[in-house]
Amino acid sequence: MLLCYCTMLTVGELRAACRSGRWPLPGKENTGKLCTACVGDLLYCLRRFGVDASC
Amino acid sequence: MSATFYEAGYEHHVEVIHQRDGEARRRLDSLEVMLYDEGGALLGAPRVDPAQDVLDLGALVRATTSATERVMVVFDARYAESIFPYRPHHYAYLHRAGSPAAPLYYAINAVLGGVPDRVGATNINNFETYVFRRGPFAQRYSLLLGCLAHFVPVQAQVFTYYGSRRVAQEITLEPKCHAEVALAAEHEGEPLARVEVKALFRLLSYVVGRRADTGDLVLFDHLFTYAK
Repeated sequence: MLLCYCTMLTVGELRAACRSGRWPLPGKENTGKLCTACVGDLLYCLRRFGVDASC
Repeated sequence: MSATFYEAGYEHHVEVIHQRDGEARRRLDSLEVMLYDEGGALLGAPRVDPAQDVLDLGALVRATTSATERVMVVFDARYAESIFPYRPHHYAYLHRAGSPAAPLYYAINAVLGGVPDRVGATNINNFETYVFRRGPFAQRYSLLLGCLAHFVPVQAQVFTYYGSRRVAQEITLEPKCHAEVALAAEHEGEPLARVEVKALFRLLSYVVGRRADTGDLVLFDHLFTYAK
């Protein structure tokens, strides 16, 4: 499932990156910062995947 | 990912690719269409040919669902970045069958992915505004708002301006839900001059006007970001 249509980040890529401590992935740093429509979903997923999304 | 709203009784045609180059009409790699009711339930995902130039939303909706209420129609278009310099725009033609009102032509609202990373834009687009002009006949105004999020609800504030007065409304939309937010045409004797939407995250949003006597749509337009 595509999470960010601006950077073409999928939920699976985000999950794998968070679990391996590699978030933010190179080239995906602008996820959530462009069209802004996925910010809520991004923060929700980061919390679910154990990443502190407050900073 | 772009979206619009379909209401029964209207001719509503979507030009899938508005841009053309000098040599050939450009094509999408794929196009998925999804229909949602007001409560966010998926009504269907009709298969469409991405090479088709124009989609007849009325035919698409009628073939997919018997629902007669407003339907949110979501377009998930994928394309080759090497062919399209920017996200392909969808445009639409809208006219109530048999109505003497003029047809409307509008740009379909890009919600998710409206700002591809390679473009490098940094403007925020979740604060939007629309300035009204006085119509030649009485109208009822409203906002059509939709939430394309997958997991979380979106909160929004709608501000309407009447002379020096401001009226605020708050709305929360769950994922894939949509709503029509009525805007009073007058407040304390002053006409509606402007509306603003401030959403935590970008929403699908259109400002609409309907003839007070017939209900025919005479305005259907996207808002404009005002924080540049």
